[in-house]
Amino acid sequence: MNKSFIKHATAALALTLITLGTSGCSDPDPVEHNPAQYDLILTEDANADIGHYKLPQDTSILKEPNAEQIFYGKRLLNETKRLLPDHVGAEMNCNSCHISQGKVPLGDPYINSYNTYPRVMPRSGTEVDLEARINGCFQRSMNGTPLDRESPEMLAMIAYMKWLGQNTPKTQKVAINNAGKVDTSLVADTARGEKIYYAQCAACHGDNGEGLKDSRGDIVFPPLWGDKSFNIGAGMARTYKAAAFIKYNMPMGIQTKGLWGHGNVLSDQDAVDVAEFFAHKPRPDFLGKVHDWPSGKKPKDARY
Amino acid sequence: MRIKKWLPTIIIAGVAGLVLAFALGQLLPTLRTTESGIVVDINDPKLINRGKYIARTADCVACHTTLNGEAYAGGLPMLTPLGAIYSTNITPDKRTGIGDYTFDDFNNAIKHGVRKDNNALYPAMPYPSYQIMPDKDVAAMYAYFMTEVKAVYQPNKDSELPPIFNWRWPLAYWQAIFAPKREFIAEASTVALTRGQYLVEGPGHCGSCHTERGIGFQELALSNAESNAFLGGAVIDGWRAKSLRGEYEGLSTWSTEELIDFFKTGRTDTTSAFGAMAEVVEHSTQYMTEEDLYAMSVYLKALSPTDGKPVYTPKKTDTTTQKLLDGVYDSRGAILYAEYCQICHRADGQGVPRIFPALAGNSAVFSKEADSVLQITLSGGRMPKTPHDRMAFTMPEFSHLSDADIAEVVNYIRNSWTNQASKIDVNDVVRMRHFLRKKPKTGTDIAPNLSINAASKGASHE
Repeated sequence: MNKSFIKHATAALALTLITLGTSGCSDPDPVEHNPAQYDLILTEDANADIGHYKLPQDTSILKEPNAEQIFYGKRLLNETKRLLPDHVGAEMNCNSCHISQGKVPLGDPYINSYNTYPRVMPRSGTEVDLEARINGCFQRSMNGTPLDRESPEMLAMIAYMKWLGQNTPKTQKVAINNAGKVDTSLVADTARGEKIYYAQCAACHGDNGEGLKDSRGDIVFPPLWGDKSFNIGAGMARTYKAAAFIKYNMPMGIQTKGLWGHGNVLSDQDAVDVAEFFAHKPRPDFLGKVHDWPSGKKPKDARY
Repeated sequence: MRIKKWLPTIIIAGVAGLVLAFALGQLLPTLRTTESGIVVDINDPKLINRGKYIARTADCVACHTTLNGEAYAGGLPMLTPLGAIYSTNITPDKRTGIGDYTFDDFNNAIKHGVRKDNNALYPAMPYPSYQIMPDKDVAAMYAYFMTEVKAVYQPNKDSELPPIFNWRWPLAYWQAIFAPKREFIAEASTVALTRGQYLVEGPGHCGSCHTERGIGFQELALSNAESNAFLGGAVIDGWRAKSLRGEYEGLSTWSTEELIDFFKTGRTDTTSAFGAMAEVVEHSTQYMTEEDLYAMSVYLKALSPTDGKPVYTPKKTDTTTQKLLDGVYDSRGAILYAEYCQICHRADGQGVPRIFPALAGNSAVFSKEADSVLQITLSGGRMPKTPHDRMAFTMPEFSHLSDADIAEVVNYIRNSWTNQASKIDVNDVVRMRHFLRKKPKTGTDIAPNLSINAASKGASHE
């Protein structure tokens, strides 16, 4: 009985002191969304100070009159293989390469896409509009067939990109880069690249580059070579383009910052080595290759 | 009038009482300490090796080492509501560590919570658990600490507790009340269950995190025999250390094999250790023998459910997966999940085996309190690194989301697919964010170092 009295007395004392110790510091106010923010610049004068672009969160799509179309576009870009199987030959989605729904600088973002096209592309030597650019991806990276330019799917994807641009005027652009830089003078060491691949890529992309699907059979990590991978006409089949992507965006799930917790562990040399290793593995041919670089100014890592 | 008359007497009685309490407080620790009569051959390599293994099972390194600090040199803060206390230097350094400890000094600190200078240790040190360890096991640890642990000169830090709370002698009373002498009493007759019980109850000190604490910060039960509050789950350091008992919020959905896999590799096909448990796997359980892992796992699986808690998950049909696949976003939480979480944790919430943990059916997700889900969402973290898997993956922090949206998406995850759990509100997120500002980072809070060649890392600073 004595012991239980002491227990209760101690408990009461402790309770009082804890209450005293913790009261007096009331909860702070809830924190609001803190979106990534980038400068806006004029296309003809990059130094003009004209304000900022705030990366929108998908919940704000609900405010748009065509919200349903924008959401559809977002889903198509995320789950292209599942939703458009007739147009996608590879086990790829648009957003296999466009990191976090095209919202990340250096991760092939769509942030400026709506305003960037039409433009003259060096590869085709002609003016390419956004529809043609998207269809280029379907035929190369996705090793598939183009969409009808007027199809609801094409319009929905463009609606998403337009929304993501947040009505930035045509004369302006968000001051971000779509891809990072790697030193293109570096010479690739494929044997070293193979070692890096098995240490840091294969856990997800497979020991035979076959990729990995989820429990429903939908693609999570795309195949990096073989019949189900992107074809030789894709940018990712080119060593230095692939290296620039890998350096800033791969692997995913290895950082505590960034929407995918991605990138920034490989040096330029690491990235070039591993890019050369997988990019030059067997993959589908691209029939339209004969039309590329008509003026003859082929980049040194072109595959044909 | 009357008070005035009695005041001197009250003061005198008060002071006398305090003096008496202080004096008794000096005496109490001496009643706890023991003289073992054991002579430890600290140079016996077999003993050292055994001690090293026992120190692993007791996970000394986790609390006695800071991030990027020297092993066992102490300095890790433990946050209490009244201020931080710091773990101490337990390297064999003579000036700042335990270099001048005899075996009995060492044994008394570990098992009875009494320092060489006869002062009581804070119960942050799990001596109520360690006290069932046999003297010979502690002797092996002594040999290891005295010979193989590198002596590091690093003075101990004073606690940040306010006066009175930083007095040591009242702790002697705490010990007398809450940590009375205790022996190991085997509950079952099989070798494995007994070994498992010993590891869980003793060196493993699982109850330090997984047993709820009472008003005096004492664990409500130190063994299963005492009550089934033992390992019934608790909130500590902003984590929900889930129930390890037989209810569905505990371990009823786990198999023995999954537990072994989890302790050994930090993952199963559907889940992964994160937060404080990732530290436990990385520093302790991954090194344990197959026999010990099996013993712990069968013992945990043998624990009955907490009183009144259901063993089976209440039936619920999954409507979440199809809605996400169809783009039917019928809540703000669904839109947020689709934007931020679905790429890894997938539409069906199953994640990717050994890479991204499942959220659907994951008992860490629908456990009683949402603290763990909240903390990992706000601050990110990584899986333990073991030789069994090629990479230790991280979850990135989503601290840029609003507190209201964090609450939405956490509620969505805890109540989608077949998950069913209590709802949190924005104030829970506010409090967690506030708490995390002060919380020190540990190894599994930060990204793994994956650089192939540290020398060539110059270019990857972004």
